[in-house]
Amino acid sequence: MKKLSATSKAYLVFVFAVLYAPILYLIFYSFNSGGNMNNFESFTLEHYQAVFEDSRLIVILINTVIVALLSGLIATVIGTLGAIGIVSIKDKKMRNTILSLNNVLIVSPDVVIGASFLILFTMIGVKLGFASVLVSHVAFSVPIVVLMVLPKLLEMNTSLIDAARDLGATKRDILTRVILPYISPGIFAGFFMALTYSLDDFAVTFFVTGNGFSTLSVEIYSMARAGISLTVNAISGLVFAITVLVVIGYYFINQKAKSATSEGQR
Amino acid sequence: MRDLLQATIAIIIVCVLLFVAAGQMQSKGSTGSKDTLTIFNWGEYIDTDLIKKFEKETGINVIYETFDSNEAMLTKIQQGGSAYDVAVPSEYTVESMKEDNLLIPLDHTLIPNMKNVNEDFLNLSFDPNNEFSLPYFWGTVGIVYNPNLIEDHLTFESWDDLWDESLKRKVFLVDGSREVIGMGLNTIGESLNVKDDTILRQATNKLITLSPNIKAIIGDEITPLMINNEASVALTWSGQAADMLSENEELNYAVPEEGSNLWFDNMVIPKTSKNVEGAHKFINFMLDPENAAQNADYVGYSTPNEAAWAIMDPEVITDERFYPDNELRDKLEVYENLGLEWLGKYNEYFLEFKMSLK
Repeated sequence: MKKLSATSKAYLVFVFAVLYAPILYLIFYSFNSGGNMNNFESFTLEHYQAVFEDSRLIVILINTVIVALLSGLIATVIGTLGAIGIVSIKDKKMRNTILSLNNVLIVSPDVVIGASFLILFTMIGVKLGFASVLVSHVAFSVPIVVLMVLPKLLEMNTSLIDAARDLGATKRDILTRVILPYISPGIFAGFFMALTYSLDDFAVTFFVTGNGFSTLSVEIYSMARAGISLTVNAISGLVFAITVLVVIGYYFINQKAKSATSEGQR
Repeated sequence: MRDLLQATIAIIIVCVLLFVAAGQMQSKGSTGSKDTLTIFNWGEYIDTDLIKKFEKETGINVIYETFDSNEAMLTKIQQGGSAYDVAVPSEYTVESMKEDNLLIPLDHTLIPNMKNVNEDFLNLSFDPNNEFSLPYFWGTVGIVYNPNLIEDHLTFESWDDLWDESLKRKVFLVDGSREVIGMGLNTIGESLNVKDDTILRQATNKLITLSPNIKAIIGDEITPLMINNEASVALTWSGQAADMLSENEELNYAVPEEGSNLWFDNMVIPKTSKNVEGAHKFINFMLDPENAAQNADYVGYSTPNEAAWAIMDPEVITDERFYPDNELRDKLEVYENLGLEWLGKYNEYFLEFKMSLK
């Protein structure tokens, strides 16, 4: 890689400082014994202790992660198949129409989606709770996955499929052995996008939670009305730490897999 | 393909493990009984130890959910889909819920602790005879100020202090038509519930003369501004003021002598309730003097529970800023439901006032 000039380096540092400063500030005060974010008194772990003692908060945290993982997974399956379907449409006009419909869902405001889901669920008599939250998260994640997978599909050379067919591959073989492996980077990217969308969604979730099921964003929002307590800082700090660990873990697994395949090729 | 499958299986395994963990956490917290009670309350509005105590005492499993505004709560209850047993709306919302037939009348024989509530807070216009609601917390509308940032002679014993010339561009108002127009009405000695165009016009004109002093009309953002000494004077609710005072000891709160608004958050049982008996038990539990005192101590708002006052820290109870004496309390007025037409007019006058700001 070409060496960065001093200005680009400074710019990079500035951008990262802006991005990380609020998070670090928040985590810093989660260790404050003073009980507020005005002045730092002394180091304490009491806010973290409070998080672990509050089993309700832990359950909400676990719920948030389950919904994110499951909705990400389901949305990825639906979205990937949807993207393959869209690409296979030969009629250009039709294909563009479907793509536009997909994009409309991405740009439409969350409040509108949330309110319409609330109306739908109560109309057909679905009890609000885990299922309603999961379904709506899947719904707003699918268009994102489609958009992430599509470029990979378009970049794929169709002669690959023709070649496979010539060699006697069945439709299923073509899907699982040619298309899916080729577009898997797009699929992973789609999954992670869906995961983050689900983790931080407030507006849609707010409308469709109920019967004791809640996610972190909704809970923190109603906690914040009475002034943000440092427990919120502590739990945010924990979530941030877990995210960093997962990213580092993912990186190492990738490195290992890469070196393993390159060794195998040799 | 293999890594896709592996990833899928890994995700599913993680989900199952988390499910088991969440299930275990929940069963550890619960009493194992199938009797459940769903409570819908404002965020950070209860000492969670009280929920555990209630579960232990009654064997009922509590599901606790929170909301952030009356309107949000009302929407969820109106839409159905979720069975709330106890909710805590403010007085004007109690009135509209009553009108929309969303509430179950309280059986007073199941709530003997009702006797602990101070008489001043019972049988009020929004719910005569407390047929549907009992008070949870109460407060006033008043002025939070930072004595270090303003002139000494201002103590806000009168609303007129807001008009003081030294407060140029220093006053923050909450963004609520009834609070702000109400302040205008208070300064000209009128009721907060008037339905008279000429009086409302007078109040608005009076407010317009305040405009040189006004810095902004905002919502919850006032709290951090006041705490961080970035703002000097704000019209707000006593509950919010109590939060600010606990974070920044320099601040002070005053309810002007001319009178002001008296607000309530009340416990009610929505029509959606599936455990009416348990809901009564919970309301009775919260009105127990010891529990009410513990809750008021934790939340920091004023409790209407007279029996609780006896066991609370005397310093808190004698703090006239948050427990005003009878003389001032007589001047406080509860908002009545104005009806759509007049509520619209209040909003119009408020809008006119906002547009007059420069």
